[in-house]
Amino acid sequence: MSAIAFATLKEAVRKKTFIVMGIVTVLYLVLWAILLYYFQNKGFGGNDQQFKALASVMVTQMGLQFSSMLMCLLTIILGAGAIASELETGMIHAIISRPLDRTEYVLGKFLGLAILTVCYATVFYAVLFLIGGAFSLDTITTLSFMQIFEGWVLYLLVPLSVLCLTLYGSVSLRVVPNGLLMIFIYILGNIGGMVEMIGNYINSTSIISSGIFLSLISPFHTLYAAAERVLLPSTGIAGEMMRGMGGLTGTGKPASAAMYIYIAIYSVGFIVLAIRKFRKIDIN
Amino acid sequence: MIIETENLSKTYQNKDAVKAINLSVDQGQIYGFLGPNGAGKSTTIKMLTGLVFPTSGKGQVLGRPLGDVKARVKLGYLPELFRFQEWMTGEDLLNFHASLFRLKRSAERNKSVLKRVDLLGQEKYKVGGYSKGMQQRIGLACALLPDPDLLFLDEPTSALDPIGRKDVRDIILGLQKEGTTVFLNSHLLSEVETVCDHITIINKGVIVKSGSMQELLMEKVTLNIICSPIPEEIYRTIKERFDHTLAPQQDDGKIFITLKSKDEIPEIASLLTTNDIKLHELTPHHETLESVFLKVVGEEETR
Repeated sequence: MSAIAFATLKEAVRKKTFIVMGIVTVLYLVLWAILLYYFQNKGFGGNDQQFKALASVMVTQMGLQFSSMLMCLLTIILGAGAIASELETGMIHAIISRPLDRTEYVLGKFLGLAILTVCYATVFYAVLFLIGGAFSLDTITTLSFMQIFEGWVLYLLVPLSVLCLTLYGSVSLRVVPNGLLMIFIYILGNIGGMVEMIGNYINSTSIISSGIFLSLISPFHTLYAAAERVLLPSTGIAGEMMRGMGGLTGTGKPASAAMYIYIAIYSVGFIVLAIRKFRKIDIN
Repeated sequence: MIIETENLSKTYQNKDAVKAINLSVDQGQIYGFLGPNGAGKSTTIKMLTGLVFPTSGKGQVLGRPLGDVKARVKLGYLPELFRFQEWMTGEDLLNFHASLFRLKRSAERNKSVLKRVDLLGQEKYKVGGYSKGMQQRIGLACALLPDPDLLFLDEPTSALDPIGRKDVRDIILGLQKEGTTVFLNSHLLSEVETVCDHITIINKGVIVKSGSMQELLMEKVTLNIICSPIPEEIYRTIKERFDHTLAPQQDDGKIFITLKSKDEIPEIASLLTTNDIKLHELTPHHETLESVFLKVVGEEETR
């Protein structure tokens, strides 16, 4: 398993996709730094000061959300072909014919990509917060260590759960259809959050249920929303307004414990399903 | 038996890819597995190497049931289209496959297999930059890493030049001397004829011919004879005893007799000479693997 994990990790890092995403990440961080520079130095005098608290949450939320989206996109791009591309090219013939259990192969692929995802997300998260801290963004400078740690764990779980589903897709579909489907499912989760929020606003049980249903298909947004709640706790009216405005986050109420258990079963379940399926397929 | 299968079958969407295949491969054999495109050769090899699951039937490879991971510890396999991680160097690839075989890294082992496939000195270059022939050689080197008891070679020389083909033939023969069993699938019949000691021909998923190379090629012998005119009585005797399809002797004295075995050659020679027929030439022609293959597959096609 370690041989597969190591090779997967090395291969992913060498892919052009990873390099391109790395460049996008750096550009994004530079842009975020520029944004924070103008945000902090422009000055919020008079009535503007009342808006500053809200704007701080907005800027931080934007920074986190876009980084999480980038992470998930990278995970989908790398994970979609992890197994499917080796099946398509026939590279897998010389691998599976070795004394390697198929379960080890799938777990090795997962492990390799998970290590990469965790490392990448951690660096991204850390740099994001360092930049925020350097510009004295109050939403960041006021965070406790536990908040940062808890937020980091939840932040990591988003791409990791995406990876679980994507690997199942990689066993079941070809590379491109899998990638497209995973992006669709990921977006569906964000839409689910918005639908739920709208349902809460207009007090419509059926719309809330639709939102929850979409979140069950794609629970990634629920995890992200949980990270955001930890990092941007209800900072008075600003936080609530932001959540009310929704944007892409569209968070309604905090997810229940049952939802977190569901997400755990969902993620582990898709890895188990990927293994079960891969153990039965003919490698032609 | 190194390989033994019993009614091994594979069906894809109600279509039989391989039907009731029975194979018995002894230790140390070089076993040629032939057939036209789509005959079921690769499906059979994939079932034997654990890539494809049989629909029915059973089998053993190296004393373990098909699909058993432990059987693959001493099993080398070079797939027909060996694909690899292009970003790896030859050495990286060998180390990667060594770890898949659960072998410790060994520069000595790497050196030994690289030398065997004539790639020593090329291991520091990325395999993506290798020529097709070099890629096939490095694939063979990977398959040789565990010092295999059984080696599956699926079209091992398809990308090689004549020198490379000869090298692979020499490697196969060398492995046989070391006791390795080689299961060879190749379209190059002359090559198979040179190295294999047992042949199985498969067509449309069914084994249509199987036997030792000697049996297959010595099944029939054609004699080209040039002699003085054969009297009618002797001609009839030859036709009745040896070849019912015998054509009349030509004006230049040529006559072609197809015998069931080479053991009949002395009898023919004796029959002619004892009847005062002057024998100018008697040349036996054995069947080639190509002629046997074309005949067997051709007969099947016309059915």
